[in-house]
Parts: sequence; C-alpha cells; structure tokens
Amino acid sequence: MLLQAVINGLLFGAVYATIGIGFSLVWGVMNIINIAHGSFIMVGAYLSYTLYAVAGIDPFLSIPLVMAALFVIAYVIQKFSLNRVVRGSVFITLTFTFGLQILIANVCLLIWSADYRSVKLPYSSAGFQIGEVVIPLVRLGIFAVALILTGLFYLFMRRTKTGIAINATALNFEGAKTVGIDVYNIYAITFGVSAALAGAAGCLISPIMSVNPFVGGPLVAKAFVIAILGGLGSTIGALVGGMVLGLVETVGTVFIPSSYQELLGFSVLVLVLVFRPQGLLGKRFY
Amino acid sequence: MKTKAIVLGILAALCIAAPFLLTGFWVRLITFTFMFAVLASALNIIAGFTGYAAFGNMIFFGLGAYTTAVLMTRLGFSFPPALACSAAVAVAVAIVLGMLLLRLKGHYFALGTLGAAEAMKYIVENMTKITGGGQGITVPSLRGNPAVINTFFYFMMFGLLIIILVVVWRLSKNRLGYAFKAIRANEEAAGVMGIDTTRYKVTAWALSALFTGLTGSVYAFWFTYIDAPTVFDVMWVVKMFVILLIGGAGTVFGPVIGAFILETISELVWSRFINLHLGILGLIIILVVLFMPRGIISLVSQGKGIKDLIPVRRQAKGADR
Repeated sequence: MLLQAVINGLLFGAVYATIGIGFSLVWGVMNIINIAHGSFIMVGAYLSYTLYAVAGIDPFLSIPLVMAALFVIAYVIQKFSLNRVVRGSVFITLTFTFGLQILIANVCLLIWSADYRSVKLPYSSAGFQIGEVVIPLVRLGIFAVALILTGLFYLFMRRTKTGIAINATALNFEGAKTVGIDVYNIYAITFGVSAALAGAAGCLISPIMSVNPFVGGPLVAKAFVIAILGGLGSTIGALVGGMVLGLVETVGTVFIPSSYQELLGFSVLVLVLVFRPQGLLGKRFY
Repeated sequence: MKTKAIVLGILAALCIAAPFLLTGFWVRLITFTFMFAVLASALNIIAGFTGYAAFGNMIFFGLGAYTTAVLMTRLGFSFPPALACSAAVAVAVAIVLGMLLLRLKGHYFALGTLGAAEAMKYIVENMTKITGGGQGITVPSLRGNPAVINTFFYFMMFGLLIIILVVVWRLSKNRLGYAFKAIRANEEAAGVMGIDTTRYKVTAWALSALFTGLTGSVYAFWFTYIDAPTVFDVMWVVKMFVILLIGGAGTVFGPVIGAFILETISELVWSRFINLHLGILGLIIILVVLFMPRGIISLVSQGKGIKDLIPVRRQAKGADR
C-alpha cells in the first residue's frame, strides 16, 4: 500500500515538475506570478480532448500540436498586452493574470460547457505488476514524456541562443538590453515557452484527470507549491518540487483522510515560505 | 476645501435618505456596494498605503463570517457580542500570521497569504462538528418587516464605511499613515530612519483585518447562510484589487469610487449576459490594468495621487524581488 503510493506519487510527480517549470520560469524571468498558468494547462487538456474526440489523435501524439498552439496564444498575449505592464508592481501583474484566468475560464465554458471532460484511452487499463506494485502503462508513459520534456527544457535553457538570452534577461534586464537583446521579445518567448509546457502538461493529464472550466485555480495552486518548494528558475528544483508534492499528496492520503489532501498542499506552501523561502535546494534564482 | 465639505455633506444626506426613498432592490444593491467599498478600503490600508499585496485578505472575511455564525448558532450569542468577537478573532489571526508572513516581500508575501487563506478554508471545512463542514451553516435571521431589515443592514454597512473612511482619512495625514507610506516607498530606508517596520506592518494588516472581519460578520448575519467555499473565495480579493485599481490605490475615496463603478457595471452588463458574466469581469480587469493602473482618482487630483505605487514600465531594478 505504502510502496504503491510512493510509486504513484513519483510517477505523477514528473507531470507536476512540467507544471512547475513553466510557472517558475515566468516568475524567475519576469517577476510575474502567472495565475493563468493553471488555465493554460486546462486549455491544453481541452485541446487534447478535442483532438482525440474529433480526429482520434492520441494525447501523447497531440503534444507537439498543443504546445505550438499554446506558445502562439501566450506569445501574442505577452507581446501585445502584458509587456505594457510587465515592469510594474506585484499588484498590477498579479491582478492582470487573475483577469486573464477568469477570461479563459469563461471562454472554455462557452466552448466546452461545464461538463467534466477526459480522454478515455482504449489501453487505459493496461499495465504490469512487480511484486505487489501495479504500474499502469499510461502513467508510465506520462512519466517518461514529462521527464523527456524536462530534459529538453534544461538543454534549451543552456545550449540554445534563445535560452541563454532568456537567462541573461532574467539576470540583468538593463545589461541584456545593452548587449542588444530584444528583451520584450524575449519576454514574449519566455511566456510562450512556459505556456507550451503547461499545454504539454494538459495533454499528459487528460487521460487520467477530468477537467472542467474551473480547474485552473486548483492547478495553479499546485504550481505555487512546486515552484516554492523547488526555488525559482531552477529546472532541477522544479523536478524535486514536483516529486515532493506528488509524494506528499499520495503518501499523505495513506495516513490522512483525503479531505485533508488540499490542506496538506497549502500547509507545505506556507511552511516552506516561512522557513525556506529560497526553496528546498537552497540557492535563489539570482 | 469648503466645496469639498459641501459635496460630502450632500452625498452623506443622500445616503441617509436613500433607503427611505428607494425600493428594496436598490437598497440591497447599494448595501452591497458599500460592503465592497469597506472591503477595498480595508485592503487599501495594507496594499495601497503599506505596499504589501495581501492576496489572502478573504481569510479575515471568512473568519469574521464563521465566528459570528458559530457563536450565534452554537452558543446562542446575540449579534453585537458576536460582531465584537469576530473582529477580535480577525485581528488576532492577522497579528500571528503577520509576524510570520510579513517578513516576506512582494510575490512571496502575496502567495503566502493566499496559501494561508486557502489552508484556512479547508480547516474550516473539515471542522464539521463546529462549522457544519461542507453543508455550511445557517445563522438565525432577524424577524420582522423585510424593508426594515434591509434598512438595518444598509445602515450597518454605511456605518462601517463612514468609520473606515475616517480612519483612512486620518491615516493619510497622521504619523502612523506616514510610517506606512515610508515602508511602501523604501522599507530599508524606513528601518534606518528608526521606524520599527515589523510592528507597523503588523499594525497595518491588523487594521485591515479588523474591518474585513467586521464586514464578514455583518455579511453572515445579513445573508443568514454561509459556506466555506463562498466566504473564503479568492474572488472577493480579486474584486477588492480591481476596485482599488479602478478607484486609485493609496487614496481615501478611490475605493468608494471604484466600488460604485464596478457594481454599476455589474448591474448594467452582467445581469443581461449571464453566460459572459465572468468573461466580462476578466476583460474589465485586463483593460483597467493596461490603461488606467493609477485609478480614476488620479485623473481628478493630479499630483496628489501616489505616483510611486504603480510605476508602469519601471525601468530601474525591480524593488520587490
């Protein structure tokens, strides 16, 4: 029972990592807490659902399409609106992304109605057993894809010119401008990449979780916890944060009634903020 | 100055006469607007004056509402002592939480308060024996003529609004208020100049909590039924922030103007397009942030408004990292 919970937690933790990486990227680079991050995940899940229901495309295969779609949406949002206020105070950017979240929720409500949607895969019950532990194939696939995405993102941030420019802009806005980086364009790309990762996470959760237009809030709450646990702007940190949250949730439910599960997540958030605001792994982004 | 006093006098007279002239629908609507004005003014003390974006302020609203509801149903309190206890609980929680969370800055503080409020929601929801859990709790209601009851709650909210406006107006002129503003402008410098920043920040949040808790208490008695997802809903705070942004943060009358504008829009637009209700609110938020982040009041009182609060595209290094 406990071992099974640990395995489940770790398998799902990789998806949490994907969610956390995108969220902490925007926070670290632009100093924006993107409340709409959960809504991007939700939109990803809806697109994956629609592609499956209409065209029969498997959620694992629709990931690149959904990522591209969310990149474009987020790029446009950043380029033409958020960039105007991106250097403003917490107050402003936080309220802006709240507005964005509400707007996206309403649009989804009009398109997909308030019903719960999820992808029902024909192979959803397939899996194998090692000793007492059951490993469902779908969850293993989700785990693998999430890890690959995390690895690709890590390489993107370190090996590509764009990734290095994002890092430079995060470290020193003025300095990046001086050396000729188009910082506002970099901001738009950053927001796009973050949303693309959220979209991928949406595809990954679509076979195992149901979504309705109001899951954006609870999802972004998880992103807070992961980002705070991992520390800002660190890919490895987000991976650790995601795994920890996955473990806390699944192992926690073995010992504590499931109605306390949400409370657990938020308590971890507040405690880490109070005692280790730099994240579990130590160093701050800057 | 004289014209200002005359205008305020006329407005006050109109407000006092209103419930005797208008129908129940309008009285309730204005009561609701007053309530939002009080909530936004309370947020203004910590967010507008002191510069700490307390995104979890609904925690005090919920605690005020639940304290009143529990005391009145379980322990047979009448409303006035329940109201006082609600205020005490809200202030006590603000002091304890404030000592922990007000050490955090910027986003970390915003997230910490949000997390605390969400955690409190689940705690209240899980204390089924006391709070009724997911079923919510029904508060004993006032008996009598609905028109009289409407008028009673109208004057409760109006009274709270007058009191908080006086407090905020005093804050805009006195030592305490200047200390708050000094913390917002530059906390390190304020500390160096001898302001005990922690104490003042906790004071600001406790003041904010006091009025938010009182409003929550009146809300519970007014609506006679509450449940945790409603009273701890983050949308309360989102609306408070939008009102502050529309009206002008860090000003005395900004929140009142903002509340009236937002509630008028809500009546005119949202009631006709029920499906688009949320989307329109979202759009309003985005447009307000983009095009008038310093609030309507900055159009009227040029130079008096607070310029350093919301520097759009501030080019210098981000102060709130």
